[in-house]
Amino acid sequence: MTSASDRLLDLDRVVAHTFPNGLRVRLYPDRLVPAVSYYTFFRVGSRNERPGLTGISHLFEHMMFNGSERYGPKEFDRVLEAHGGTSNAYTSNDLTAYYDDFATEALPTVVDLESDRMRALRITEDGLEQERAVVKEERRLRTENSTFGLMEEQLESLVYQAHPYRWPVIGWMDDIDRIQRSDCLDFFGTYYAPSNASIYVAGDVEPDATLRLLETAYGAISAGPAAPPVPAGEPCQRGERRAAVRYPAQAPAMVAGFRGPAASSPDSAALDVLQVCLSAGEGSRLKRRLVQELEVAVTASVSWGWRIDPGLFMVFLELAPETRPQRAEEALWRELARVAHRGVGLREVERARRQLRSFVLNELSTHNGVAHALGQAEALLGDWREAGTALEQYRSVTPADVRRVAAEYLDPVRRNVVWLEPEAAR
Amino acid sequence: MPEIHEERLANGATVVVARRPGVPLAAARLQVRAGAALDPPGRFGLAQMVAMVARRGAGARSGRRLDDLVESQGAHLSASADEDAAVYSLSAPVEALSSLLGPLVDLARAPSFPPAEFERLRRRELAALAHDADEPGLIADRAMLLEAYVGHPYGHAVEGRVKDMGTMRRADALAFHRRHYGPTLTTLVLTGPLDVGMALAEARRRLGRWKATVEDPPDWPSPAPAPRRVVVVDKPDATQTQIRLAAPGFPRRSPDYFPAAVANAVLGGGFTSRLVEAIRVNRGLSYGVRSRFAMSRSTGLFTLSSFTKNETAGELVQVALDEIARFRDEGPSAAEVERATSYLAGLYPMSLETHDQWADRLADLQLYGYGLDEVRDYRERVRAVTAAAAHEVGRRRFPADTGVILAVGPARQVVAQLERFGPVRVVPVRRVL
Repeated sequence: MTSASDRLLDLDRVVAHTFPNGLRVRLYPDRLVPAVSYYTFFRVGSRNERPGLTGISHLFEHMMFNGSERYGPKEFDRVLEAHGGTSNAYTSNDLTAYYDDFATEALPTVVDLESDRMRALRITEDGLEQERAVVKEERRLRTENSTFGLMEEQLESLVYQAHPYRWPVIGWMDDIDRIQRSDCLDFFGTYYAPSNASIYVAGDVEPDATLRLLETAYGAISAGPAAPPVPAGEPCQRGERRAAVRYPAQAPAMVAGFRGPAASSPDSAALDVLQVCLSAGEGSRLKRRLVQELEVAVTASVSWGWRIDPGLFMVFLELAPETRPQRAEEALWRELARVAHRGVGLREVERARRQLRSFVLNELSTHNGVAHALGQAEALLGDWREAGTALEQYRSVTPADVRRVAAEYLDPVRRNVVWLEPEAAR
Repeated sequence: MPEIHEERLANGATVVVARRPGVPLAAARLQVRAGAALDPPGRFGLAQMVAMVARRGAGARSGRRLDDLVESQGAHLSASADEDAAVYSLSAPVEALSSLLGPLVDLARAPSFPPAEFERLRRRELAALAHDADEPGLIADRAMLLEAYVGHPYGHAVEGRVKDMGTMRRADALAFHRRHYGPTLTTLVLTGPLDVGMALAEARRRLGRWKATVEDPPDWPSPAPAPRRVVVVDKPDATQTQIRLAAPGFPRRSPDYFPAAVANAVLGGGFTSRLVEAIRVNRGLSYGVRSRFAMSRSTGLFTLSSFTKNETAGELVQVALDEIARFRDEGPSAAEVERATSYLAGLYPMSLETHDQWADRLADLQLYGYGLDEVRDYRERVRAVTAAAAHEVGRRRFPADTGVILAVGPARQVVAQLERFGPVRVVPVRRVL
């Protein structure tokens, strides 16, 4: 039984509907702040790409702001801002999400803008060339001139040998150069049809009127073809894999990665708990041992990202310039082995649960956070209701579960390591 | 608007309690007006070190005990500083607030500065500066402060510099705390779905017993405008150049605040600004560009930030300067001002959606000395800005031929492109840190 104080989202408030063309709509009315957050999720990301066309999902995300039938180039954000709103989007391995945050009065305008680009996006050569240049600058910013970006890209290619998660979401530079307008037209026809999309609206809205508004705007858009299946296989890893990034950096750093389970696995929640035990807060294991006691790392962080297919559990360490890399690496393996062999205590798990509860509450404290959580749950887990069950999942995680997932997924045989090796400027 | 109670205690400390509905978390800010502008010469980075080391032990509690107390309840407690203030931030389940308020106040009132923790953090901060050297955007921001505020108390990063961090001693932290931490410079803000009576009583009890007398920090004048010059921080390996433009601005509590917000929204805020259109949309020169008025308590800066491949650094700067000149000459159109004011007014409620956002805003209001009426009437005041007022403030506040243009990139490729904008000086990355 869930107590009232632990009910993160009042799921009874959600009005869920699917139109005949397959478009799914979920509304979450909340009057606390006179604003609305409006998300459109498309079930496409770099996972749906193929070699030679990597980065098309992300490049296409940029194209969505370049004009549609009734709104010319540059109009989307102009109209939205003129109505007191703002928009942005992101592309991940699994999905592409667009959001608009705006003052309540702008809802009809936003529905018109969003439905027009889903129905009749303009895909022009000029628009493609402009966004190609912009995306190349983005890649230079986030990857080629970023030590972490360079390392992360190497790591993903080590962890995944066959699965599409092996290439970066932003794509390889050559592929960004290669994408043609015809590729974009095909991409739009397949992945941006209403049958591959879901809309999440949270905030100061009246559900019945909003549903009618959405039906009028989106109801006549044709459903699309079924998206091609994703080749999701990956051979079993039977030994450690390593790579180095030599770069004119001032200090060494390392990332280690392990292939975890799919988001839908019950182990995902246990890995969340493990992540918190390892690196959330000053009292976490890696911060205490590697940063405070041994001082072999300046920072230590862990990220465990839920994905549709088995995702990546990643540890990132930055070292002081004079620290011997091997010493830091051995200290990290010892800490991971300690959890796998001896496990964690009940109090440690309880501490992690409380931290996760605060984290989830924070996430759900804005309209944007609520709309995003509903969309993310449906995209990764197949059901928006999962957005409200996080705490129950964490409550069921035991110390034995944490030990088991550490032993299973952080097995040294399955680890992947990338070192940043500083070198003199060329 | 939440229900807000503000109270000045007998010792001069300020308490602000704002009750509002929402998720069962509470946000607290303990703010002391002892920021990096008070760093003594040769001790840049001290204000932030004081804040960080205070977090590692206060009252009878060690840092480790504090970590356990805070984190076992699902709370988060951090310490930081900016140029004007040190801030201790707590986010906690609302039921944990009363047990954590005492430890929070102790961080400012009674830090023990454990010697081993001081030395460890000093070493860690030195190593962090080495990693900062590998972040081109970060180097650009730091170098911009140095160059825009030459000789000014705001003219260094809160993180300090390698040579100062190398020689800093615990005695420096003790002296800084003794000289600059006191109740008259301290504000405690509490927000969330909390019990106002309990929160006020607890705040009075914890903060009210702090006895210490300190002087108010002075107000520092703006640096004088100087002819435009160019500084290139040489990063030979970079394939992309980070670009900044900075010129003297104004303090947060300035009558220019609203017209400047609107003028800047047209020039370089949001996604449809003139700069975004000229640099990103029309020319594909960059992924992002924005301008802003960075406002501190005493004064501020106008800044512009972007980045582009090395080959187009000069072109990007030229386009940016042309857009600034065009705004100064022609001003914004009525339609642009209409869009900018709708944008700013429409988004304002979303900047006050969470307890943490409210806590930050209420702490800012105490630090910068503006009133709650600004928060209440923000949308009306933005909408009242006319095109003529935005043009007038743009003519005064957007730089014509003053300020510094700063580039972080390979000097051998970039210098020749930037010489036409003013005299060029090339510095190595280590000079910035």
